[in-house]
Amino acid sequence: MNPTEPEVRADEEAVLADLARMLRTLLEEYGDDDAEIGMSTTFNRDLELESIDLVTLAGLLEERYGKRVNFAEFLAGMEFDEIIELTVGRLVEYVVWSLKATEAG
Amino acid sequence: MAIVDTGDIRLHVQRMGPAEGRTPLATVVLVHGLLTDSLASYYFTVAPAFAASGLDVVMYDLRGHGRSGRPAGGYTLDHNIDDLEALLDRLAITGPVHLVGNSYGGTIAFGYAARHPERTASLSLIESEPATAAWAAKLGGILHRVVTELARNEPEAIAWVTANHGRNTARLARGAARLVRETSLGRDIPASRVLTEDQISVVRCPVLGVYGGDSDMVEVVPLKETLLADYRSVVLPGHEHSVLVEAAGTVGGHILELIHSVSGARAAGVR
Repeated sequence: MNPTEPEVRADEEAVLADLARMLRTLLEEYGDDDAEIGMSTTFNRDLELESIDLVTLAGLLEERYGKRVNFAEFLAGMEFDEIIELTVGRLVEYVVWSLKATEAG
Repeated sequence: MAIVDTGDIRLHVQRMGPAEGRTPLATVVLVHGLLTDSLASYYFTVAPAFAASGLDVVMYDLRGHGRSGRPAGGYTLDHNIDDLEALLDRLAITGPVHLVGNSYGGTIAFGYAARHPERTASLSLIESEPATAAWAAKLGGILHRVVTELARNEPEAIAWVTANHGRNTARLARGAARLVRETSLGRDIPASRVLTEDQISVVRCPVLGVYGGDSDMVEVVPLKETLLADYRSVVLPGHEHSVLVEAAGTVGGHILELIHSVSGARAAGVR
């Protein structure tokens, strides 16, 4: 794990900060380094990420949280239109839920 | 992100497997379609369920697509089949594999099966067909339109796509225009070597065809019934060419049924 990264915490604020960091890494590739990322930001419309970028994000999520968060399964359970409308906030909630579920288990 | 360098091309590969400690029952390789497609069409649809059912799932981006390398040339069907061969070789996957192909990906999968019938356990073709002269002519027409209407007059074409199909499709179309402009793909694919009827009927493994009921691909069903020893088709009413993404659960269910019936029979020593 990257030593400069803060410890994983299962609360909204910490997970949002984690996701914002991952998304900035992705967006840098497109030369976009000042995108605003909040709970209501959409992956498709606001960040203009393509589905292949979400595969990369899945890898970054696994690096950070291990097998506890399964992004592919989360999206596979959704309708196509839901994926298009997906917000950062919805993913934050899913990550927090997954982390708490594994803590409890 | 996993990159496999075949010596000829750098391919982006993703792999999913059964839960820890379980030995995979078989390997399934998922091949995506042309221009706007990438391995993401599987990654977020059928792949997790395939892995959960006990399969070793291999997905990769075709050359020029997704996160794989984009050389300026080398886009015939045979180049794509060579890439698939080289990839399996690099991953040390030597036994028979189950192949799934969506649209052009199915044409690649079929080409691989025709080259290596003994290394193909089953074939699932979603909205797809083997490479025939009719196939090459049809794709030539589609690619000609992409080159002339989209790549050469992009702003106007994109404005039309945005107005009629929305921003998401417009972004995909921009990506397709870029691919066609930067590479020889538009010329190479229609010039691909096609299969003779004899070469098609070399494929003896079980073949499943999945089609959208509103797609013109349904027309190729009779061809396959005549030439293939073990062919069955499923038509999903109310869907068109993008049936994999629109009806992933149903499509994936049919494919899993085929794969598990074949690998179950293999495990029991039945051919």
